[in-house]
Amino acid sequence: MKVKVNDVELDLAPGTSAIDAVFAAGYDVPYFCSQEYMSPIGACRMCLAVVGAPRKERDGSWTMDEATGQPKIFYFPNPMATCTTAIMEGMVIDTLSDVTKKAQGGMMEMHLINHPLDCPTCDKGGACELQDRAYEYGSGHSRFIFDKRHNEKHHALSELITLDRERCIHCKRCVRYFEEVPGDEVLDFIERGGHTFIGTVEEGLPSNFSGNITDICPVGALLDTTSRFRGRNWEYDHTRSTSLDDASGSAITIDARTGRIERIKAALNTQVNKNWIDDGTRFGHEYAASSDRIKTPMLRKNGKLEPVTWEEATLFISEKLKKLSDNQLGIALRSDATLEEGVAAKSLAEYLKTGQIDHYPRYASSVISANPASFNDLATAGAIFVMADATEEVPMVDLRIKDALKGVTPPTLMAHGVPIADLRLKERMPRKTNILSVAAPYRVDLMKYAAHSMVYPTGTEVEVLKQIIDASTDAGKALKESLSAAEKAVIVLGAFVLNSAEASKLADDLAKATGAKVMKLGAMANSFGLESQDVLPAKADYSYPNMLSGSAKALIVSGLNPAQNAEVAQALLKLELLVVHDLFENETTALAHVVLPAKSGYEKEGTVVNLEGRYLNVNPAPVDGGQAVDFTGFVKELGDALNERLEGRSVRSARRLLKKSLELDLSELPLEGTIASAKAGKVAGLKTNTSGNALLVPSMVRSEYLNRNAHLFASTGGNALRLHPADAASHNLSAHDVISVSVGGFKRRLSVQPSESVPEGMMLLPALPDQPVGLVQLDLNSIKKEQVALEVA
Amino acid sequence: MSVFEIAKGMGVTLGHLFKKPVTVTYPEQPVDVKPRFRGRHHLLRHPDTNLEKCIGCSLCAAACPAYAIYVEAAENDPNNPTSAGERYASIYEINMLRCIFCGFCEEACPTGAIVLGHEFELADFKYQDFVYGKPDMLVGTKGSKWQRREAEKKGKDVKIGLKSGPRPELEGVDY
Repeated sequence: MKVKVNDVELDLAPGTSAIDAVFAAGYDVPYFCSQEYMSPIGACRMCLAVVGAPRKERDGSWTMDEATGQPKIFYFPNPMATCTTAIMEGMVIDTLSDVTKKAQGGMMEMHLINHPLDCPTCDKGGACELQDRAYEYGSGHSRFIFDKRHNEKHHALSELITLDRERCIHCKRCVRYFEEVPGDEVLDFIERGGHTFIGTVEEGLPSNFSGNITDICPVGALLDTTSRFRGRNWEYDHTRSTSLDDASGSAITIDARTGRIERIKAALNTQVNKNWIDDGTRFGHEYAASSDRIKTPMLRKNGKLEPVTWEEATLFISEKLKKLSDNQLGIALRSDATLEEGVAAKSLAEYLKTGQIDHYPRYASSVISANPASFNDLATAGAIFVMADATEEVPMVDLRIKDALKGVTPPTLMAHGVPIADLRLKERMPRKTNILSVAAPYRVDLMKYAAHSMVYPTGTEVEVLKQIIDASTDAGKALKESLSAAEKAVIVLGAFVLNSAEASKLADDLAKATGAKVMKLGAMANSFGLESQDVLPAKADYSYPNMLSGSAKALIVSGLNPAQNAEVAQALLKLELLVVHDLFENETTALAHVVLPAKSGYEKEGTVVNLEGRYLNVNPAPVDGGQAVDFTGFVKELGDALNERLEGRSVRSARRLLKKSLELDLSELPLEGTIASAKAGKVAGLKTNTSGNALLVPSMVRSEYLNRNAHLFASTGGNALRLHPADAASHNLSAHDVISVSVGGFKRRLSVQPSESVPEGMMLLPALPDQPVGLVQLDLNSIKKEQVALEVA
Repeated sequence: MSVFEIAKGMGVTLGHLFKKPVTVTYPEQPVDVKPRFRGRHHLLRHPDTNLEKCIGCSLCAAACPAYAIYVEAAENDPNNPTSAGERYASIYEINMLRCIFCGFCEEACPTGAIVLGHEFELADFKYQDFVYGKPDMLVGTKGSKWQRREAEKKGKDVKIGLKSGPRPELEGVDY
């Protein structure tokens, strides 16, 4: 369709909005209410422009202007909001005329009438759309001499989000966001006219993606409480990186100031997370700035850990290692270690001639699918079967499934990026809930949006999958048929299935039988990458749980805390060498001979592979970590002590190795990452519990760091023990009780949350890296009610 | 050149012998500082409420060409506010060695909280003593860090070597 914007002629696809035509032409109009990936509604009236189009006669020919001999342009009588205007053949858009400028300037003045102009105290100042647009399009002075509207200045919308009602300009982005993107209608306009304010009827914001409204708010009305007053926008160092909180590989911007992370914002990755991130990722960064981080290496001298230099620590380790024979050393990484760290660990294991190397948590079956689904496959799928608690495991999967329910394909990128106003999106669109089937051992969040949901008894994944494959039940038959019939079907498999090799195989069979693609939700950020790089034990007996129970005589663990288990702690005491590379002192560092400072996921440089198989760069934010290094740094220091230049001694060295095996230069990855095919690794050696009275479930917020994330802690109430109210009554527990309890040998501190959504006879508690998803025995006799209210560490 | 010219020059010299001298015997005598002289900064308070004028917005730090200012803000306790408004400066530091006394901070300040005063005797011995914090600059504090240290040691009042005319921006500052 031919469109003319001022003096630029464009040929755009039908259905494009006029505002996108203007931006595609390289011109600019101000706007506050339009937002990428959300419906345009024309609420702010800022994008006004003079718009006209030619008309056709009855015979199909253009109505001609006799004076010029050209088709006559009929202008709309008033300036039009370009965000809600679709382009037409021959449309003329004028953004430079005096009429347009007067209309835009007038709207700007209207917006500022009730805006408090407290920019110096506002956290948005310096990165505020209203501020920028007022500077560009405003008149620079105010004719409004009356008292401005006064309203609540800092209303805590939830523990995580602060609302300033005076600053709100009623663009409706946040209200629409909740309905359109996560599908939770929790915010709305209350009252009318100048008295309008946004609010919620419920306590807090019961959504898993509430933080995104702080990114899209065009003014400083909605602010991230974790970074409230911490710094001004121009003072932050912005680092674009990849989130290591889950396996989605969501793009984030880390804002740090004076060596401290102050906030996390969503960054754009059109292929993965679009503009959005979940609350666990956004607000779960405070632990990295904790004052109790380990900042220097420590060596145990006379039974006490004492700070030493890296040289002294690694010299001690190297002396001990020299006394070991082959296959006596165990090396274990947490599954959010970068690819480079994995390679470094492998090269160290090879040099020290040990096959005992593993990453943990991982599942009994591979997370690398033979026919993997990408996020865009998921968002455009015609049938989706989720056998997982996707919202908690990889929240982005939940969000992209909701894209599929809307039935609108991801927009085509334009010259200026993502279309600002995608006219295919509407407010309160009908959702195709019947394409979504969800099965889980308890009621999961996604079931609210699914037409077909099934809560099966814990541990019966194999039976459930058999029913579907054999089409032996009506529901199973219908599901199998819908997966086969759909042009694009995706099966999402989570921890409950992947934990069982048999169920996992059945699920793969189901995918083969129906032609569906499979998305396997890895346990942690780099489960896929570490498996594909074969950071796995040489034989089943050398897996991480075996290392802990005696197969290793010396152990190097990075990011894991096995001694939480009292039994394992006893076994660890017998080790000749225990090296712990971690952020904080914990049960395992209390036993360790050497403790080394580690980098958090925000400080590392490296690469992770998300659940699609997409290689994404992790970039280091300028954070004060003392002498902390990642595992490649540890390999370098140890190599120095051993007088060896070990491979993987730096990120660069690890990337040189990876370039050979992957044929991919990881230092030159595009921002959106690169998908490369990968083969499933030989995963083995993990036994899963098949009985127990409690189920460890995945959690969006990292339970291991929750007590150091003060705001998330306040918002979630701490790690929760969820159980049926009837069970709670029989165990003499009531809501908000804080208990300490022994769960499978781990001493856990939990707050009781009775909930009808939990099946009777089952208790749910969040998994830990060392206590991954699965059944576990909770010792009811060990429940101790703590008298004091739980305090934030 | 004639003898007459020499006599004329000498006349000027002789004339000054009988005029009041310009020289001040500083430090015995105070220096007369012009009202718009830019010396050590003062952080002002609202005279009526005694609340700090500074709201911790960091605009002074942004305007500072010498990167001499560091501000960290925090939220006011509504029951016991430090400043008027939601936000106050929990840390406010100026490195007097970096500062070039240009007055940009004063121009940038939206509340008139920071004003360059007339004190100029900032000499000290250690680098760290040139980093002035809030207690060193809040209105009511007289003298440089060294002067106050010295006064405390001797148990006397702080003596600053200047006298100056009033400047309306320096609300509540008394030299």
